[in-house]
Amino acid sequence: MLARVSRTVARRANVTRTLCGSRRSFVQPSGADRASVVDVPSTYQEENHFAPSPDMLGFKLEAPQRDSSATEQVRPIYLDLQATTPVDPRVLDAMLPYFTDQYGNPHSRTHAYGWEAEKAVEVARKNVADIIGADTKDIVFTSGATETNNMAIKGVARFHKEKKRHVITTQTEHKCVLDSCRKLSEEGFDITYLPVQKNGVIDLAELEAAIRPDTSLISIMAVNNETGVIQPLKEIGAIARKHRGVYFHTDAAQAVGKIPLDVNEMNIDLMSISGHKLYGPKGVGAAYVRRRPRVRLEPILSGGGQERGLRSGTLPTALVVGLGEAARIAQKEMARDHARIKQLSDRLIQGINAEVEQVVRNGDENGYPGCVNLSFSYVEGESLLMALKEIALSSGSACTSASLEPSYVLRALGAAEDMAHSSLRFGIGRFTTEAEIDFVVKRIVATVHRLREMSPLWEMVQEGIDINSINWSQH
Amino acid sequence: MSSVAAPSKQAIKSLYHNMLRSSQSFSSYNFREYFERRTKETFRAMQNETDPNKLRDMYSDALKESTSLRRGAIVNQLYGGWKVAVEVPEKPEEILERGNN
Repeated sequence: MLARVSRTVARRANVTRTLCGSRRSFVQPSGADRASVVDVPSTYQEENHFAPSPDMLGFKLEAPQRDSSATEQVRPIYLDLQATTPVDPRVLDAMLPYFTDQYGNPHSRTHAYGWEAEKAVEVARKNVADIIGADTKDIVFTSGATETNNMAIKGVARFHKEKKRHVITTQTEHKCVLDSCRKLSEEGFDITYLPVQKNGVIDLAELEAAIRPDTSLISIMAVNNETGVIQPLKEIGAIARKHRGVYFHTDAAQAVGKIPLDVNEMNIDLMSISGHKLYGPKGVGAAYVRRRPRVRLEPILSGGGQERGLRSGTLPTALVVGLGEAARIAQKEMARDHARIKQLSDRLIQGINAEVEQVVRNGDENGYPGCVNLSFSYVEGESLLMALKEIALSSGSACTSASLEPSYVLRALGAAEDMAHSSLRFGIGRFTTEAEIDFVVKRIVATVHRLREMSPLWEMVQEGIDINSINWSQH
Repeated sequence: MSSVAAPSKQAIKSLYHNMLRSSQSFSSYNFREYFERRTKETFRAMQNETDPNKLRDMYSDALKESTSLRRGAIVNQLYGGWKVAVEVPEKPEEILERGNN
């Protein structure tokens, strides 16, 4: 069977080589003297190149060769597992039948295609429910954690808007939560953004003090995506339970499958789950909506009433099956993965601390070990990233990386402006190896040393001058 | 009652070799390393297992996984395979002195 596969590969290689993974680069627009050229240059006659078309706007497509040749592309080491995770091959294997022969709509009641798709969706639902200790009927599949966060926050707040006008959240939440709250405040709700302590954990006394008689929702994320801080969910759930009518929502996108979660033990009423943080596919997520006692919310999507009326729309069977399989594998491997990730994380931190001084770890030391956020003093973060071309890292979170502002999460933790700028987030996951960690440590140490050699501030610090006492003259 | 009788040493050994071969045939570095390590760990645990019921369960789990692993390896060969930076042997860095150019 492997032989049959290789012949197909050879046949398809010419097409696939150009179609998938081509890289675009800018070319200079040609002048008027070439306007009369009617044929493409001879270099474009090779099978690897596309003929340029008028709507390509001057971009040139370069097709990377897959077999060893002069232009062998080397992919960077992936350490950005908080942004997204690779799809586990076992998950992909579970999904592919629903992209090939078993393509039925799970809501079709009248034929075998629909029945088998529905059965697969129910199995996936059970797998997702098991990993958080919920009942099968409580799980609603959505298009991702962002949609679930919107649904939970806006849905609960708007349903109870007659009597309850207050929502509590924290300053370190994900952008979609903060943006939903901002939208609600435009509609006339009061939002309290709780500050966090220096280590990223919220103060329970402050939370309790912030609850008012007209509070409808508390939304606090389980594991922070930038710093890895784990919030005390059990205690927060107990506080929410004490006050009647206050629902507790948690954005557990980074936590599911990584730390043990139990919705009944932690008194969680609503939870957001993301598929692509769990070694599953992108484009799918789940919401846990408690039924006993019933959490009522106003759905965002109106339609055929699928998913208990909370999220209408055809379920993407293959993606849902992928999420279910990813959840099942995560449940099985959680202890093993956690031990290994802790080991790799310690190796990374000790390796860097042994060679480099003045490194600050942002966030709680007892946070999730797979997310390590380090700030290097007197080194600029973007230049550090540019020098680490062979490592895929992020400074700050992916959603905020386009802007030049330092991350709001680090600012909420009380990090100084320059330290927030020079922070790197290392994500370690199931598929990371020791060799990769050692490579990264070596590179970081070398780069930080090189950048610090060039830095006049570092020179001054070495001589013992206190930077803060310098009176910078203005020209 | 279970469909799989107590697995013989031969069966376990041949399953181990099959799974190891599938793991080593992944094109992607990360998946290859992970599945190799995991296969070795699983079968080492099986070797040290004394309870025959647990051994039977572990064997049947591994059997189900071995087919999924083989298919996963084939799909990965079709689409994966670029080298990751840590696999490429490092070129010694050229140290430029001031005045070299």
